[in-house]
Amino acid sequence: MAWQSPNCIVHAMQSVRRTVQLRSFLHTPISPVSLRTNITPILSQQQRNARGYATEVQTAPEINFDTFSVQPARIIPASPAYFSGSPKFIDHLLNLESVLAKWASLPTVSPGEAPRMAWFKLMQFREFVGEPVPTKKYKNLIKILQRLNRIDPKLMPFEVRDTLKIFLRPGNPYGNKPVPATVDEMGRARGRGKRKTSSAVVHLVEGEGEVMVNGKTIVEVFPRLHDRESVTWPLKCTSRLDKYNVWATVRGGGVTGQAEAITLALARALLVHEPGLQPVMRRAGVITVDARRVERKKPGHVKARKMPTWVKR
Amino acid sequence: MVSSFCWSCMTRLRPTPRAVLPPPVAAPRAASFHTSTVRYALPAKKKASLDGPPKFREAKSARMKKKKPVEKSRPPSVGERKALRKRIVLSNPNALEVEGMQDLSSENMVDARLRGSVLGLPVPMLTQLRAVEAFKPKQGWSIFRRPGTVVRRETLELGRFIDGISNEGKDKGRSAKKIVTGVRGSGKTVHLLQAMAMAFTKQWVVFTVPEPQDLVIAHTSYAPLSDDTPHLYVQNDATAAMLSRTVTANEQVLKNLHISQQHPALKSSAKAGMTLEELAKLGIQDPAIAWPVFQALWSELTATSPAPGFDKGFKPRPPMLVTVDGLSHWMKNSEYRSADFDPIHAHDLMFVRHFLSLLKPGSEKPALPNGGLLLYATSASNNPTIYSFEVALKQIAARQAGLNASAPEFPQADPYSKADKRVIDAFDSAKPTIAKEGILELQTLGGLTRDEARGFMEYFARSGLLREKINDAWVGEKWSLAGGGVIGELEKLGRRLRVVN
Repeated sequence: MAWQSPNCIVHAMQSVRRTVQLRSFLHTPISPVSLRTNITPILSQQQRNARGYATEVQTAPEINFDTFSVQPARIIPASPAYFSGSPKFIDHLLNLESVLAKWASLPTVSPGEAPRMAWFKLMQFREFVGEPVPTKKYKNLIKILQRLNRIDPKLMPFEVRDTLKIFLRPGNPYGNKPVPATVDEMGRARGRGKRKTSSAVVHLVEGEGEVMVNGKTIVEVFPRLHDRESVTWPLKCTSRLDKYNVWATVRGGGVTGQAEAITLALARALLVHEPGLQPVMRRAGVITVDARRVERKKPGHVKARKMPTWVKR
Repeated sequence: MVSSFCWSCMTRLRPTPRAVLPPPVAAPRAASFHTSTVRYALPAKKKASLDGPPKFREAKSARMKKKKPVEKSRPPSVGERKALRKRIVLSNPNALEVEGMQDLSSENMVDARLRGSVLGLPVPMLTQLRAVEAFKPKQGWSIFRRPGTVVRRETLELGRFIDGISNEGKDKGRSAKKIVTGVRGSGKTVHLLQAMAMAFTKQWVVFTVPEPQDLVIAHTSYAPLSDDTPHLYVQNDATAAMLSRTVTANEQVLKNLHISQQHPALKSSAKAGMTLEELAKLGIQDPAIAWPVFQALWSELTATSPAPGFDKGFKPRPPMLVTVDGLSHWMKNSEYRSADFDPIHAHDLMFVRHFLSLLKPGSEKPALPNGGLLLYATSASNNPTIYSFEVALKQIAARQAGLNASAPEFPQADPYSKADKRVIDAFDSAKPTIAKEGILELQTLGGLTRDEARGFMEYFARSGLLREKINDAWVGEKWSLAGGGVIGELEKLGRRLRVVN
């Protein structure tokens, strides 16, 4: 239609040239600064070179927004991530990344030696930024925080310190450490332990290997040998069985749960007497808490996971 | 078939009953003594599944499988299963002979150096011990080459006591009354067994009631004692059985003793010059007169001097050991009913009443005038809970500790708990007035000490049952696991087969 006349071809060439100019501008990296500086010269240049087909393309002079005589047509958001849905979070993340990039070369300490920090829990952080932050992305942010926190405390720059402070829970949860338990004046160490629905309290005194549970001998309470062995296992694995007397009180749950609750309580009480035994006992698996509880029954299931039998019709 | 018993160990071999073996199982071909599962068994064939849609031209209705007629073998004859259940095996030819194991004798039963070691029971004595039913079926005698018992602190005390009564000295003619308690597996029954064995070595007369429960569960006949006392009952068959036990076990002693007084209740059947064995056999042959015969035998054995006219050949009577194992069954209403269909209290049975009356101190002469020992044990496994009996035991312990019955801290029965007055009265024995008679005591058996436990576990190792290095640490661990050396638990730990793969 319009293409058929030679005049039309000339017009088409002109429009192609214009789009090329525009495209090259779009492909240059956008930053708030360059945006602010570049836009006006392009416009002016375009005006100037409107008819100069053969002349070279020149960079546009900066736009001076301060000298705008009129307000822009729409309000420009403060954060470039405004349209991402979670701009504050992304700003924080970018800020942290830039801080990390800046101080990445500083020496670090091992994770165990870094000071313990109480970062925001996910829910708290969501409340803090007021945006729906996905779990996984928040985990990545925590990773950056932890990496920053590993910078040697002696060399920690103020900038990093102040940045990390933003993400700390208020109230300093790790500030007041519990007083390490000690043996009381009668030589008793106390430990508490839980397993399944049982909870046990153990009083451990130096002695010759007697074990009493709820005021009865261990044989009366645990007729099964396996349970008796698991009760005495913390003492057995440290070969302290003939050096302490155990007085345990256990409530709730079944036989196995009670036995293993005593195991945990006994290990903790033994740590009060001899803290040096911790590595041995950790390897023996008596310090690690088994936090598993009974899984709840779900609607539509027969038990927690079991589904009703499939019936064809 | 080769007999599984060793002729040298076993003195009494009855013709074995028809071998009752479990039916041969076809599937597992592994030897039956293996504790591991059969690993390489052929995988079980999958059953042809019945679910799924019916095939073409197949019936849709449920098909019932016809049961194959089970081949019924003849049921075992009467008493055979019970005999198998009650069988007592005292020897295991596969166990190793323990070298240097001593036999219990009158010399070494007071030897404190033997504490913690295992003393064998002399083989000739096993017949006697079997006769008085000293062994129980569930005890682990069958895992060792020959029966033996540990010498623990209580055993040595018992040995010294029995030795003192038997020998000439200041302790001669003394008597003691003890109620033995303790947790389950603490060795109460074996303590009685040790007492019996020591009594047999010292030529005492031993009366036992191995199963007090049998007297009150209405499994033996009973009859009113006489028309004058219709509320008292005798159990003739049980009495005859006890006479039979006593005669078999104490034959040598009773043979040498003769009648020393008139027995008007027996009329003419008790003749002068009869031995006590013959007297007792009267009751075995005719259970109808078993109770008068038992009373006559008891009065003969507790006689200190002959009646006039019977002076010829009177020998002083030996001390006596009386044991009852499982006392609490006697502390409640029995299963027997009176003519009015009222329950009969166990204390109204003459048999029970006789043995409980021995706990009371005698008025002019002691309950056991020739000395001796009453050992009444409680049971921890077959044990009806009787509140008044528990209170009575607490009262005995308090009285033994020197507490007066009128003291405020003296344990009393709760007035609202309907305690049985008869039970509390039965154990309410005042301090005896006669010097040689001991006060009723409560002896609580606890665990072994570590040294005794070590000796016991070494015995397991030397019998080839235990393949461990027996050192103090290992013994200490087992001692703790056994609740402070409770011997029954130690035995379970020692005989536990450890499968190492």
